[in-house]
Amino acid sequence: MSAAPVEIVEREFGELALNMGPQHPSTHGVLRLVLHLSGETVIKAIPVIGYLHRGVEKLSEHLAYDQLAPVYERDDYLAPTANSNAFVLAVEQLGSIAVPRRAQWLRAFVAEWQRVSSHLVWLGTLGLDLGGALGGGTTLYMYCFRERERILDFLEEFTGTRFHTNTNLVGGARYDLDAAMAARSDALAASIKTALPELWAMSGGNPIFQERTRGVGVISADLALGVGVTGPTLRASGVSYDVRKAASYDAYAELPFQVVTRTAGDAEARFQVRFDELAESLKLVRTIVAGLPTGPIFARKPLKNPKATKLPKGEAYAAVESPRGELGFHIVSDGSAKPYRLKINAPSFKNLQIVPHLLPGGLVADVVAILGSLDPVMGDVDR
Amino acid sequence: MSALTTGWLGAVVLSATVLGVAMTIVAYLTWLERKVAARMQNRIGPYEVGFPHGWLQPLADVVKLIIKEDITPRAADRILFNLGPLLVVVPALTGFAFIPIAKGLAIVDHAYSFLFFTAFASLTLLGVFAAGWSSNNKYALLSALRMVAMAASYEVPMILALLIPALLSGSFQLTEVVEAQRGLWFIGYPLVGQVAFLIFLICALAEGNKSPLDILDAESELIAAYNVEYSGIKFALFYAGEYAHTLAICALAATVFLGGYLGPAFLPGFVWLAAKCLVLFVVILWIRWSLMRLRIDQAIRINWMILLPAALVNVLIAAFWVVGR
Amino acid sequence: MPSLGTIVFGTLQTMGMTLRAAFRRGNTVPYPRKKRRVPGQWRAGSFALTFDPATGEENCIGCRLCEYICPSEIITVSLRKGEPRKNGIGATFCDAFVLDYQACMQCELCIQVCPTDAIVMTRALAPAVRSRNGLLLTKERLMDNGQALLAAPALASEATATKLREWTDAARGLPKAEETP
Repeated sequence: MSAAPVEIVEREFGELALNMGPQHPSTHGVLRLVLHLSGETVIKAIPVIGYLHRGVEKLSEHLAYDQLAPVYERDDYLAPTANSNAFVLAVEQLGSIAVPRRAQWLRAFVAEWQRVSSHLVWLGTLGLDLGGALGGGTTLYMYCFRERERILDFLEEFTGTRFHTNTNLVGGARYDLDAAMAARSDALAASIKTALPELWAMSGGNPIFQERTRGVGVISADLALGVGVTGPTLRASGVSYDVRKAASYDAYAELPFQVVTRTAGDAEARFQVRFDELAESLKLVRTIVAGLPTGPIFARKPLKNPKATKLPKGEAYAAVESPRGELGFHIVSDGSAKPYRLKINAPSFKNLQIVPHLLPGGLVADVVAILGSLDPVMGDVDR
Repeated sequence: MSALTTGWLGAVVLSATVLGVAMTIVAYLTWLERKVAARMQNRIGPYEVGFPHGWLQPLADVVKLIIKEDITPRAADRILFNLGPLLVVVPALTGFAFIPIAKGLAIVDHAYSFLFFTAFASLTLLGVFAAGWSSNNKYALLSALRMVAMAASYEVPMILALLIPALLSGSFQLTEVVEAQRGLWFIGYPLVGQVAFLIFLICALAEGNKSPLDILDAESELIAAYNVEYSGIKFALFYAGEYAHTLAICALAATVFLGGYLGPAFLPGFVWLAAKCLVLFVVILWIRWSLMRLRIDQAIRINWMILLPAALVNVLIAAFWVVGR
Repeated sequence: MPSLGTIVFGTLQTMGMTLRAAFRRGNTVPYPRKKRRVPGQWRAGSFALTFDPATGEENCIGCRLCEYICPSEIITVSLRKGEPRKNGIGATFCDAFVLDYQACMQCELCIQVCPTDAIVMTRALAPAVRSRNGLLLTKERLMDNGQALLAAPALASEATATKLREWTDAARGLPKAEETP
C-alpha cells in the first residue's frame, strides 16, 4: 500500500486557500472548511467532515435493543434524549410496544428541558463566535451557561447525571417525577424566564449583533427545501415544518405550543426562531408538569437479559424534533435481538449541506456568523 | 533631588523609574483585566494563586511563559519574526517618555512631544504587520491584511481628534497642554471636548485591538491572528506590549483630555495621573467585555462615514472658536 | 445600518447590563475549599459491591446480568458455587468481578438489572487516580467500597436496583395490576 497521498487544494491564481481546520474555536466541533479566499471574500467553501466519526451505526449491529438506548445519546451531545427518544420510538414501532401516557409526557418533559439547554449553548457559542473569546461574546456565553448550569443541576437531581441521562427505555421512561421535583422544575423555569430579557439585551437587542447577523447567510425557502435543511433553519426561511406537529410523537399531540416561524431567512431570523423556541419550551415545561397524567411509566416486564428482547422482522422509521431539526432512526430488523441495520437521519448533517451555497460572497467574519446560526453539532454530523 | 532629575543622569534615573513602574503596572493590569472581566461575567477570576485574590497570578503567568519552549517555524522570516515582539513593546514603552508626571517634568520635554507620542504609538502596528507577514501562516497573513486596512483608516480620525487639545492649548508640547488645562479640563469644553474624547476613545479601541474593533485579533475567526506562531517569551512580549500600548494610550488621553497630573493638592500629581489612567483603562475593559466584534467592512464604513466627518467638523468648530477667542 | 440613536442606546443598554452584573456575587464554587452538595441519585462516583447489612454476606450471586446488559461491555463476571447464604438469596457467588471504569458511561443499566441490589454506584466525589490501573475496579476494590458503604450507608446512590425497578414497575400508580405485552 502506498503512503498517504498529499492533498493538493486546487485554486485559481490570486486565491488564498485557507483551511479553517478541524482545530478551530468557531467550527462548532471538528469541522474542516476549505475556504478559497480572495482577500477577505469567500469564493468557494468545501466542508470536510468525518473527524468525529465513531461508527455508531456499525456498533448498533453488535448490541441488543435494550442496551442501545444510552449509546445514541453521544451523537447529538447537546440534546441527548432527543437521540434516544427517536431510537426507542422506532423500536416500539417495530415491536408494537405500547408506552404508558405518563411515560410519554415524561419523555417530552426531559426533551423540552434539553431543548432549552441546547439553545442556551447555541446562544452562548454564537456570542463567542461573533464576539471572540476575549471580548463581549464571552460575557454572553457565561450568562447562558450560568442558566444552563441550573438546568443541569436540576437534571442531576432528577436522574443522577447532568447530560446523558438515559431516561428513555424501550417501553417507557425510567425516572418518575414526584411533587418536590415538579415544584423544583417549575421554579427553575420561572427563574430562567426572568433571565431571558438580559440575554436578549446582550444579543438580539444589541446593534452590533444585529449588524453582524442581518442579511447574512440568507436562505430562501426554495433553497432550504431543495437542500433539505430542517429545524429552526428551515422555519426561519418561512417553511412551517415541525415534527412535533407534523408527525406527533410522545405527548405533543396533546400539548399546546406554537411553531415559531420567520420569513427573512438570514442569520438574525434563525436567531429569533431559536430564541423564541427557548421561551416556548420554558412554557411547555410548566404545561407538562401541570398536566402530567397518573399511571406507570414502564409497561414491560423488568429488564433482564437484553438478548431476550427479539423484535419481529421488518423496518420502522421514527423521527423527533431535536433542537437542530428532524432526527430520525430507521431500523431494519431481521427477527433477532440486534438490529440488522440502523441508520440515523441526522439534522446537522443535512443543515451542513447548505454551507457551499451560503458562504461564497461573504466575508470571513460572515463564515463564523453563518456557522453559528446553523448550529451544527459535529457528533450529530459524523455519528 | 533636582540633580537627579536633570541632565543625562536624570534622564537615566527617570527612565528606569518610569519603565519599572510601567512594566509592573502592566503586569498587574492583566490581573485587573481578568478580575473585572470575571466580575462582569458572574465569576470570581483568579483567586487560588496568591489566595484569596489571586494577586500572584501575573507572576505565575510570566514564569510559565518564560520557561516555555521558544519555537520558530522553519519557513518563517527569522529577522522579522524576532523583530515583531520588539517592535510592539518598545514603541509602547517609549511613549511613556513623553507623558509629564509633574509640572515641567517629563523624561523628554520636547516642543513636539505630542506628535512624537502619536508617531511612536503607530509604530506598534509595524510590529503587528511584521509578525503577521513573517509567520508564514495564512491566519497571521489575514490578520496583517486587516491591520493595514484598519490602522490606516483609524489613524486619521484619531489624529484629528488629538488636534483639539493642541488647538485649544496652542502647543504640541505635552507639558504645556497639561498646564493649559488648569482652568478646565479639555474634556469639559462644550461639544468640542466631548466629541473629540469620544472619537479618540473609539480610535483607541481600534489601535489597541479591543472589542468591538479587535478585528485584527479576532480570536474566533483567526484563532490568535498575528501571534499564532509565537510561544514562550515572545508571546509574553506581545501580550505585555498590548497592555503597555493600551496603558500608553490611556495615559495620553488622561494627559490631553483629563488634565494629566492636575488635581487637588492633597495627593501628588503622578498619583492623579495614575488614577485617571486606571479609570480610563477600566472604561476600555468595560467596553471590551460587553460588546461584540464588528465586521471589517462595517468598521471601515463607520470610520470613513461617521468618525472622519465628525472629527473634521469638530476641528473646524474648535478652530473657529480659538480664532474668535 | 441602524440609526445613530439605536447604536448609542443599544450599546449603553448592553454596557449597563454588564455593569450591573459586575456588582453581583460571583457564581463560582471555590472547589476544593467548598465542595458542592451531591444529589441523592448521583451517578458520577465509583462503584461498590454491596454486603447484606444484617448478615454481612456478599450480595452478588454471579448471575452475569450486568455483564450482558452493559453497552460498553466493561464488566466481566465469573460464577462459583459456595455455601447457601443465611439471607436466602442462594448459594452462588461471583468468583472474579472486574469493572473497567475507563469506558463506563454511567448509564446505570447494570444497576437496574441486578436482582439482589449487589452493584450500586457511590456518591463520593471520586478522587482522580495516578495510573490507569486505578480505574480498573477489581473485586477487592469493589468490596472495599462495599465495606465503606456498610459503615456509611449515605454514601451509596439512592438509585439502587430496587428503587429503579420500583419506578419502572408496570403497576405503579394504578389501582390494580394490568397485563401488558
